[in-house]
Amino acid sequence: MIKKYILRLFLILLVIPFSHVSLYSQDDLLGILDDEVEEEIDYTAYTFKSSRIINMHSIEQMKTGELDFRINHRFGTVNSGAYEMFGLDNALINLCFDYGVTDWFMVGLRRGTYQKTYDGSLKFRIFRQSKGLKVMPVTLSYYVDMSVNTLKITDPSIEDIFSNRLAYTHQLLIARKFNERLSLQLIPSFVHRNLVPDDEENDIYAIGIGGRYKFARRLAITFEYAYASNTAGDNKYYNPFSIGLDIETGGHVFQVFFTNAQAMVEKAVIAETTGNWLEGNFRFGFNMSRVFTLSKKSH
Amino acid sequence: MRYLLLVVFATVLLTASAQKQITKTGTIEIFSETPLFTIEGTNKKVASILNTENGEVVASTLVRSFKFHEALVEEHFNENYMESHAFPKSIFKGRIIDFSSLDLSKDGTYDIMIEGKLTIHGETNYVKEKGTITFADGIISASTEFPVSLKAYKIRVEKAYTKAIQDEILLKIHFNYKPYSKK
Repeated sequence: MIKKYILRLFLILLVIPFSHVSLYSQDDLLGILDDEVEEEIDYTAYTFKSSRIINMHSIEQMKTGELDFRINHRFGTVNSGAYEMFGLDNALINLCFDYGVTDWFMVGLRRGTYQKTYDGSLKFRIFRQSKGLKVMPVTLSYYVDMSVNTLKITDPSIEDIFSNRLAYTHQLLIARKFNERLSLQLIPSFVHRNLVPDDEENDIYAIGIGGRYKFARRLAITFEYAYASNTAGDNKYYNPFSIGLDIETGGHVFQVFFTNAQAMVEKAVIAETTGNWLEGNFRFGFNMSRVFTLSKKSH
Repeated sequence: MRYLLLVVFATVLLTASAQKQITKTGTIEIFSETPLFTIEGTNKKVASILNTENGEVVASTLVRSFKFHEALVEEHFNENYMESHAFPKSIFKGRIIDFSSLDLSKDGTYDIMIEGKLTIHGETNYVKEKGTITFADGIISASTEFPVSLKAYKIRVEKAYTKAIQDEILLKIHFNYKPYSKK
């Protein structure tokens, strides 16, 4: 009996001192922190360096209050020879303004040399690739563009009404960043042109693929290709293929590339690309982007 | 007798938990200024525990919780410098020196020294810095402010940008603790 009490007393004495000694090491404290801090949705960021892969839009867009001013150039074809400085004497330019209304909604305005086109675009992000609390394998965005051809109409058989000058592009942008280096994007597209020559279709369906491989801290190789249905016969048009380099500096992203597309507006890239790579009918081009923060928001 | 034992155990556990103070909303501000470029970032999701029994402190945060006014600065911070994809967390493990000499029951602000191991960008360095601790109505808050060298944590700044980004970045850290009770 007494033995039993002594044993219990002994047990109590054994326990009491612990209330005055630290029961926890620093690593245990860190373990408590890990348990206490709720898991968050870890959104994949920086899938591409720029809002364009090359000609086509990537899933990246301007954040709230940011304005991206772009000066894009496509020179003449490389096979035009030394007299034309391999195309550098002839340039089509495109001035773009893209503004982030919110992080998921961007509006764009452009003016391009090709067909003296004005166009406006909207880009909506529907959902983002993420891990952690919510797992989503890809980012999905919707891009829509409406363009106006403002060339003077010289052909008397064409009725000069405004709607004849319009063309529309709808694209789904589906991208996955596989790792820090590799990102790929699929671009199912639909182009509708209100007025086309007799041998062309008004509606064109296309599937685009693009990607980047980041091989150094500020450098990435990029490519894009689109397979378009219903391009006119007689090798009038070719599928657009481009390959290039993204160079990132302080506030700029500089994209240099070779492409067989002469225009920058999506409807023309997909449906009206005339260059044939195999004949050297491709051009040098660059996109220069400068981002301005118009309204500073605190996150 | 068995109940007595249970009570003793419970008391032990309760005192042990009351001796810990926690925050999940601590702040770290980072600041760097050169004639060319000012960098200002804030992280409001810093977690920390202070064990008031022995002065041990740990703190941990996700690097991508740092927010900047300009999205591009945030992108470069994560992508090019902190490489937050490879080194997602920054961690401090250490203690307040001579914590036992402080009287927690007396309200006031006291100067303290903090020492420990700071891990940033996968590199761990020993740090010993000044700080302050405040007791007010049983609430404990702590602050410290010190520079860290980018080189010491192997954060590489390209030569072209060394004039825009100085090597020493100022950290301002503040924690408002609450008593910790296990979930």
